[in-house]
Amino acid sequence: MTSRKTVEAFEVAATEANLLESGGAGQWGLTFRRFMGRTSGVIGLSIVTLLVLMAIFAPVIAPYGPDQVLIGKEDVRPREKPCVHILGCDPEKPQHIMGTDGNVRDEFSRIIHGARVSLTLGFFTVTLALLVGSTLGALAGYIGGWFDNVIMRVMDVILGFPSLLLAIAIVAVLGPGLENALIAIAIVSIPAYARVMRAQVLSIRETDFVSASRALGANARQILLRRVVPNAMTPLVVLATLGVATAILEAAGLSFLGLGAQPPTAEWGTMLASERNNLFTSPHLVFFPGFAIMITVLGFNLMGDGLRDALDPSLNR
Amino acid sequence: MKQRHIWFVLLLALALVAAACSNSGGDTTTTQATTTTVQETTTTTTRAPDPDFVGRVIDAGGCDYGGRVEKITAVDEFTVEFDLCGPHPAFLAQIAFSVFGIQPEEHLEATGGAPIGDPVGTGPYSLKEWVRGDSVVFERNDAYYGQVAPHQTAVLKWATESAGRLLELQSGAADGMTFPGPEDFAVIEADPNLVLLNKPEPNIFYMGFTDIFPPFDDVRVRKAIALAMDRQRIIDTFYPPGSEVASHFTPCSVQFGCEGDSWYDQDVEAAKALLAEAGLADGFSTKIFYRDVTRGYLPTPGNVAADIQAQLKETLNIDAEIVQMESGEFIQQCSSAGQCDGIHLLGWTGDYPHITNFLDFHFGDGVVQFGNGHPEIYDLLTEASQTPDSAVAGPLYEQANNAIKELVPMVPIAHGATAFATTSNVEGAYAPPWGQVLFNLWDNGTDTLVFVQGNEPISLYCADESDGESLRACAQVVEALYSYTPSGDVQPQLATECVPNDDLSVWTCTLRQGVVFHDGSTFDANDVLASFEAGLVASSPLHTGNSGTFDYYSYLWNGLIDAEG
Repeated sequence: MTSRKTVEAFEVAATEANLLESGGAGQWGLTFRRFMGRTSGVIGLSIVTLLVLMAIFAPVIAPYGPDQVLIGKEDVRPREKPCVHILGCDPEKPQHIMGTDGNVRDEFSRIIHGARVSLTLGFFTVTLALLVGSTLGALAGYIGGWFDNVIMRVMDVILGFPSLLLAIAIVAVLGPGLENALIAIAIVSIPAYARVMRAQVLSIRETDFVSASRALGANARQILLRRVVPNAMTPLVVLATLGVATAILEAAGLSFLGLGAQPPTAEWGTMLASERNNLFTSPHLVFFPGFAIMITVLGFNLMGDGLRDALDPSLNR
Repeated sequence: MKQRHIWFVLLLALALVAAACSNSGGDTTTTQATTTTVQETTTTTTRAPDPDFVGRVIDAGGCDYGGRVEKITAVDEFTVEFDLCGPHPAFLAQIAFSVFGIQPEEHLEATGGAPIGDPVGTGPYSLKEWVRGDSVVFERNDAYYGQVAPHQTAVLKWATESAGRLLELQSGAADGMTFPGPEDFAVIEADPNLVLLNKPEPNIFYMGFTDIFPPFDDVRVRKAIALAMDRQRIIDTFYPPGSEVASHFTPCSVQFGCEGDSWYDQDVEAAKALLAEAGLADGFSTKIFYRDVTRGYLPTPGNVAADIQAQLKETLNIDAEIVQMESGEFIQQCSSAGQCDGIHLLGWTGDYPHITNFLDFHFGDGVVQFGNGHPEIYDLLTEASQTPDSAVAGPLYEQANNAIKELVPMVPIAHGATAFATTSNVEGAYAPPWGQVLFNLWDNGTDTLVFVQGNEPISLYCADESDGESLRACAQVVEALYSYTPSGDVQPQLATECVPNDDLSVWTCTLRQGVVFHDGSTFDANDVLASFEAGLVASSPLHTGNSGTFDYYSYLWNGLIDAEG
């Protein structure tokens, strides 16, 4: 969850940070070297890369379709235990390395295809929230006055609700479904981006190079788009990376409650929910989706942490 | 001295005669029969009714209110006459339902018609204590006229999850439990310390169509879906052993239930052809409504819904979106109001062993669950339900079943098997198809019997309850005029017999004499009248109850007397 504390920490870091206009290849090269020097960040990046590859090549990797019911096609029962031939499973039996689910579908194929759903949802949610949030934040910070007040108070109100609770309320109004879950999660994540962006804009617009641009006759739009926003992006990139993890987790939460992805969509939260009563009889059906969610969130969090460290100019040596 | 001997011999002879006569009604269980004989000689005495007895009367003032009861009269101390508004062949099966349990007139008056936590009855146990949130404790009724419980105390507990109930059974904390989960059937059978008791519960799970919504207004579409479904696959995969593919809506264990042709076998090609004929060769989009509530007829709702969705897609290219609804809203929208625009997955568990309880409730005149209803079906049902002669009614039900098959208001899928489980040291354990299990027939060899069910009773005044959890608790304490045997037949309980007139519209019940309530009062006809008045007469001061809806009174007697509006 993007808590208020995290958001404030970002604002402080961003304000304190002595952000200068330095950009270009030199800066990004330095960042990349610093990122690669940290083990946790590299692990995060590897996990995320693997997941993305898994999502892209899902139909190639998965032995079955995600919704393919195997009743009558193979000799398997619902909730069959995992069967891996090289680990000593009877070669006569069809191989299902994560077993089958309650509707006799291959669990492994569903987990692989689930990566598609979760990653797509994560990226689109964050993109939407980032676009809306940073636009609002930039305008509020640059225009100031009553406009700033109105926008930021609205953001405060949204931030005042526990994010998952607000998402549930929004989905309750819009109706259950993956698209609506995406919109709901995007809405609850907007304030974080708006606040960070506003703080950045407030500090950057007072810098000398902005004053210089203004003195040279640049209008407000040029200053905002050419000078301020590009320089304010750094903390937002980090926040967005961490935001993907949060979004995936919240989407799984909504789906678990039956408000997100609807059956038969192979979504990890939905898969977890439908088998939660069989925890003791078929633990694999709860373990694998849970593990998939965990590893994905871990990957994005590690990557986000690594990025933050790499991009933090106060760590300049 | 000699005279005394003669008296003694005479008394003995009299007692033997009384025993022979009173037992001629016949009990069906062997264990019960032997004990009952002994008990009845000691308690059943026949005497002339009290001439000063002033009987109560329930008078609906005619039949215009639409209900079934015209008048109930306490003719004398031990005779009650039910004057009904038409022939009622299912009368006995219906009054055996434990909702119609008899409590003392004085007790109902003293509690203002709401003995919610302190029922008084004539049953094998009296209520000792209801520890809210924990258990209901029953104490043996030593003066019971039937089989006296072998243990002093019976305890009824509850655990929502079937896994939790099984755990209590396995640990020895309980002697019996209701409804193990389908995945636990094999576990119980494999455990030498546990016994699985099949409960031949007459139920039906079906896919319903509300035919006011296109494309289900076209019978070809409904029939296509009926032909496309692989019902055997659903039973094999998601139902516990012992479940059956439904050949008819009503299970065969109910008389006339499966007269007529069996349901369609799967024929995907014919289904596709029919759908193409209806102009939907490429399939269509619809919704599948269901509630995530486990019942004997539907042990795994989510999986079955997903499989039906998959089958519709595979066979007819129908894109069905699954919509899970909250239980109360689902029943209201899909069943009561008939407003579900798609396919709804619902089922029915019989209340009493008569085909009207299945067919009339679903396909009778005025039922909107499946749309406008079909006169081809309900005209036959109305006629059959008013036919006293079962030889005439049988062919009518056969025609009705065939009409249902032809018009496909729903697709019957399964008769689900359900079970109870006990520890292997319990003797006499049984799981009845109708009515409630009575703990006095169970003997675990100790002084306390513990039984675990799914939920806490809502109240212990069952005239105003409809859930099995409450009814199971009530049945231990309160008895009705008739009851169900462990095998599911009806038998006289507080009545010794109820005799109909020729057209089955007037039933005269002779009551058992010498029965004493747990509070010491004697059972007579006015107790029957007061109990029925409390449930049936909306204007009576006794008509209070728990929620005050008296669902089963109003449904089984076609409405309450003096109900407003």
